[in-house]
Amino acid sequence: MTTNASEEQVVLMTEELRKSYGPVQALRGVDLEVRRGEIFGFLGPNGAGKTTTIRCLLDLIRPDGGTIRVLGIDPQADPVAVQARSGYLPGELRLYDNLTARRQLRFLSDMRGGNADWDFARELVQQLDLAMDRPIKNLSKGNNQKIGVVQALMHRPELLLLDEPTAGLDPLMQREVLGLIEQARADGATVFFSSHVMSEVQTIADRVAMIRQGEIVEVADTRSLIDRAMREVTVTFKEAVSPEALAKVPGVTLLSRNDGGMRVILQVKGDMEALIGALDGMPVRELETSKPSLEEVFLRYYEEPG
Amino acid sequence: MWTTLRYTLASLRGQIIGWGLGVAALGLILIPFYDIFQAEQGDLMEMVENYPPELLAFFGGDAATLATTEGYLGMYAFSMLPVIVGIFAVIEGSGLLASDEESGRLDLIVAHPVSRAALLWGRTLAFVAASLAIMVLGWLGFVVLLGGSSLDIGWGQMALPFLPLLAQTLIYGALALLLSMLLPARRLAAAVAGGVMAASYFLSSMASLNDSLAAVARFLPYDYYQGGEALGGLDWIPFLVLLAAGTVLLLLAWWRFDRRDIRVAGEGGWRLPDLRLRRTETAREA
Repeated sequence: MTTNASEEQVVLMTEELRKSYGPVQALRGVDLEVRRGEIFGFLGPNGAGKTTTIRCLLDLIRPDGGTIRVLGIDPQADPVAVQARSGYLPGELRLYDNLTARRQLRFLSDMRGGNADWDFARELVQQLDLAMDRPIKNLSKGNNQKIGVVQALMHRPELLLLDEPTAGLDPLMQREVLGLIEQARADGATVFFSSHVMSEVQTIADRVAMIRQGEIVEVADTRSLIDRAMREVTVTFKEAVSPEALAKVPGVTLLSRNDGGMRVILQVKGDMEALIGALDGMPVRELETSKPSLEEVFLRYYEEPG
Repeated sequence: MWTTLRYTLASLRGQIIGWGLGVAALGLILIPFYDIFQAEQGDLMEMVENYPPELLAFFGGDAATLATTEGYLGMYAFSMLPVIVGIFAVIEGSGLLASDEESGRLDLIVAHPVSRAALLWGRTLAFVAASLAIMVLGWLGFVVLLGGSSLDIGWGQMALPFLPLLAQTLIYGALALLLSMLLPARRLAAAVAGGVMAASYFLSSMASLNDSLAAVARFLPYDYYQGGEALGGLDWIPFLVLLAAGTVLLLLAWWRFDRRDIRVAGEGGWRLPDLRLRRTETAREA
């Protein structure tokens, strides 16, 4: 595994992480590196291995092989030290139905030795508009999720491990939670969060890893991942031209030709420099580029056969 | 560990009150009834003498022992209490960790900075404290009316049979906890532990009538239960044997819990195979 960041800058590292459930190989050698202070998106469809990876990081499940270091600690050797410095939001959050949100948060704070910052917790509760004194059994799934977010953040952990943090929230609250994650990073936390909602990852993640069938298929800066993906370019000419010259440009594929050769649609892989060079001298009226979203990038990865 | 103990004990409040008052109610009925029993002893003894010996064996005695204080309380209370309070032990023991695990709550709890050992021992100590509290409440029910009865037993003496009862409760709780760590479902663990408890009661009771059963019963907890006889003096050896066996079961449960994956809700459940569906599939294949 290539290590770009210095050791103290690496908050979370896995190397050749493997885990099987009976005959099912959930993780097949996962390599990850998350740097201090970044928001790292962990993308993948359901069943790809996101939750299994996160649960290995907290020693909730034991890997079959590989190395894990969280905050420089081996979670299997000293899980309590990792857990004390982390905040965790499970993908399948379950709480005590008969408790109110207030008592549930008090219980979880007590499980941390009572180290919650209650002023901050109250701020979070206010921001998320969470009903504190109703029994959890009477709360919606979204409100349950809000409790999960508050409990993960309320002790101001150095590392946040969030499994699908916006699941079950309405769009307004999703934005609020993403804001809280960015705020946590601004306050010095490192965030590792899984999602299959591309838009939220695209909005806040500095880097992303994509996991497919227990293997990491890509790790990159979010921006560069989008930039280097294929994009669709529509060129409208003042007069009919022969597009063959354009199709010969490396990375360019001719998709269609309309209006008697006045308009061509091209697919461009990588940067646009070569295409722009080829268009130089041509009677270009209009050039339209559609930028791919992370979702399109994601789908391309997962549509390819494994 | 103390936080876990405190919260678990708080969650067991209802169980302590319910089971404790249930045992106490038995005492509140039996102690005043003793004088009526004494008055009618002749008729009752005649009736008991006509009972089949197999039936009397289940109540821990014969007609002669029934005439004694130990025999009376043993037959009507302490012979059955391990099974009655054992239900509490099996349900709570199997659910100490597996209940939260099956509902998916344990995932978040274990992600907090509490070691698995602290979690297991905190909850186990709460279970021990709850069992002890049930015994104390039960004992109060047995002693509060002692002064008004002709039973020649002191308050301290009445506490003695509750000690073997406590040991029985603890060993079935420990067994249920261990099974919940080994088996894929809490209900299955409770069923197996309950089965062992029932088998232990039946086999050990019948062992007084059948020597070959006695050999098997030696390996079962009820065989080490003193019951009402403890009123005449506690036999510490079987009591300590049971506590030692319970400790071994708890250590095994800890060993297993410390090494296993924590399941999320719905994961690794267990159910009987759907034979009806299988038959349909077989018929279709044919």
